[in-house]
Amino acid sequence: MTPTHFTISSAFLLGMMGLAFHRTHLLSALLCLEAMMLALFIALSLWSLQLDATGCSTAPMLMLAFSACEASAGLALLVATARTHGTDHMQALNLLQC
Amino acid sequence: MHPTTLMYTSSLLLMFAVLLYPLLVTFTSLPLNNDWASSHAKTAVKSAFLISLAPLSLFLSTGMEAVTSSWTWMVTTTLDITLSFKFDHYSIIFIPIALYVTWSILEFATWYMHSDPLMNRFFKYLLTFLVAMLILVSANNLFQLFIGWEGVGIMSFLLIGWWHGRADANTAALQAVLYNRVGDIGLILGMAWLATNVNSWDIQQMFILSKNLDMTLPLLGLILAATGKSAQFGLHPWLPAAMEGPTPVSALLHSSTMVVAGIFLLIRMSPLMENNQTALTLCLCLGALTTMFTATCALTQNDIKKIVAFSTSSQLGLMMVTIGLNQPQLAFLHICTHAFFKAMLFLCSGSVIHSLNDEQDIRKMGGLHHLAPFTSSCLTVGSLALTGTPFLAGFFSKDAIIEALNTSHVNAWALTLTLIATSFTAIYSLRVIFFVTMGTPRFLPLSPINENNPAVINPLKRLAWGSIFGGLLVMLNINLFKTPVLTMPAELKLAALAVSILGLLTALELATLTSKQFKVTPLRTPHHFSTSLGFIPAIIHRQIPQLTLLLGQKIASQMVDQTWLEKTGPKAIANATTPLASATSNMQQGLIKTYLTLFLMTLVLVTLISAT
Repeated sequence: MTPTHFTISSAFLLGMMGLAFHRTHLLSALLCLEAMMLALFIALSLWSLQLDATGCSTAPMLMLAFSACEASAGLALLVATARTHGTDHMQALNLLQC
Repeated sequence: MHPTTLMYTSSLLLMFAVLLYPLLVTFTSLPLNNDWASSHAKTAVKSAFLISLAPLSLFLSTGMEAVTSSWTWMVTTTLDITLSFKFDHYSIIFIPIALYVTWSILEFATWYMHSDPLMNRFFKYLLTFLVAMLILVSANNLFQLFIGWEGVGIMSFLLIGWWHGRADANTAALQAVLYNRVGDIGLILGMAWLATNVNSWDIQQMFILSKNLDMTLPLLGLILAATGKSAQFGLHPWLPAAMEGPTPVSALLHSSTMVVAGIFLLIRMSPLMENNQTALTLCLCLGALTTMFTATCALTQNDIKKIVAFSTSSQLGLMMVTIGLNQPQLAFLHICTHAFFKAMLFLCSGSVIHSLNDEQDIRKMGGLHHLAPFTSSCLTVGSLALTGTPFLAGFFSKDAIIEALNTSHVNAWALTLTLIATSFTAIYSLRVIFFVTMGTPRFLPLSPINENNPAVINPLKRLAWGSIFGGLLVMLNINLFKTPVLTMPAELKLAALAVSILGLLTALELATLTSKQFKVTPLRTPHHFSTSLGFIPAIIHRQIPQLTLLLGQKIASQMVDQTWLEKTGPKAIANATTPLASATSNMQQGLIKTYLTLFLMTLVLVTLISAT
């Protein structure tokens, strides 16, 4: 595995682990989600550079656009949570808990 | 790297990481929570045991051994030392056994040392000792082995002198260090000779290059090292004195792991000793003398821990005898089986001692069979395994050793001493059981006899399973390197069993003499028969109701109600399924974090499996 490949994969994996193992704040989960998106963005950017394939040069921009939409959706959810539950603590989001 | 070697090395690395993590946490200045000992230390050893089962199963199925050399430590012109680990038959089998025994002992120690304010430090010392022992056992060069050797020596000192306010404990700790140091001189002598003559401290290179050399001097050095560490005659007084330490220390260090380090060294170096008759005879005679002398000492001791300590010393002498017979693998087998029942004997003693409010004199115990039934049962099982009762753990190793002794060309003196020591083993074991569990209580009435704590029951149960099945499991799964002699006269084959039974009967006779009068037959005159109406009412009027009541109790109440219905039948299903059901429903409570964690773990697992 080349160093580049390893770096991007580990960045993505670390972000995913941060998303899975979040402890208190919803915001930290969203930040990890952003980190995953960033790793994917860099991966897509490097894809066309490394493989000299100009066909997929626009993919990073599309990725970024969708990532921005998703981030704003996430933040809207965060604000809604703060409005209804009062905090963004994960323990407050236990509606489905039996 | 070959996948098997990769598995061995990564398991060992993971084991060290798991065991060192709790220790490293203590070096930061965070205060430890109260149950650090049970939540971190014991869990770490349990996880390390489970991890060590992976190389064990791989070894049992493939039989592949490996040597891994990694980081180069020192390079001189003629000698270079690397960090190298040897995963052979001996270390792969010993490490899981040592971790299993340590896990049980640590769990017991959470109960035993509960009232000690420095309990966390105690566990830290025990963990450090365990890491040093693992380094010793997995070492491929003598330098690494020496590091482990010194590590276990220092931890032994710190742990024996745990109650350092007591002068006797300090003396005992100092004794341990000094006697071990004398042994270390031998080890350093051996290492120096090997470094200058064979030019290496790596086991493989030493074996090849020393084929034509006269190895008497370094072998004498190694035997001196084993004498010091394994308490052979001459450097033996530290082992009974080491009983000043708390019982978990005695169970771990001075019965299962540390004292076998000397024997383990000789087992590792056994190819060097194969052709040197001087060294073999020295081992044989030293071992025979040790086992006889310490078994004799154990016969009349009154402290329960000292009896078990002398018993350990006697078994170590037996291991030395086996090495002197040029049968290192049998000695190793005895190390493995001995770890189980000796640790269990020490834990039973610890349970008894705490139950009787720190009373260690067996003359002041008694009747514990009814008051602490589980502990006395485990004590009996352990003693039976120790004496070599057929098909318990000790039988497979001890009987094999005595058969090898009887059918080899050895001197009769060593043979006689070993057989007498075997019978003495039965005698002092019976003495312990008689004084501790049988008879009537001789202790103070208000003793806090309570063995109902799972932290006591579970370790004893685990070690009892090991004492019963350990020998069988090990014997079924290994290949013997040297062909044993299988045909011998019936007297030789049954010699070990015969001397043990002889010792047992003698001990029973002697033990019952202590509380009964010597006049054996009462004065009987003929008219007693008719005066007592032919004894008929006396016999029948008691026996029949007693038989009926007994039948009622045993069959109706105990067998049907308690055993079949509660323990094995319907209630057992309920008791077994409830924890499983609650564990499963605990995980499925609707928390996102649980689900995401499981998702991630599955992803990782799938990636790993598909990548190989």
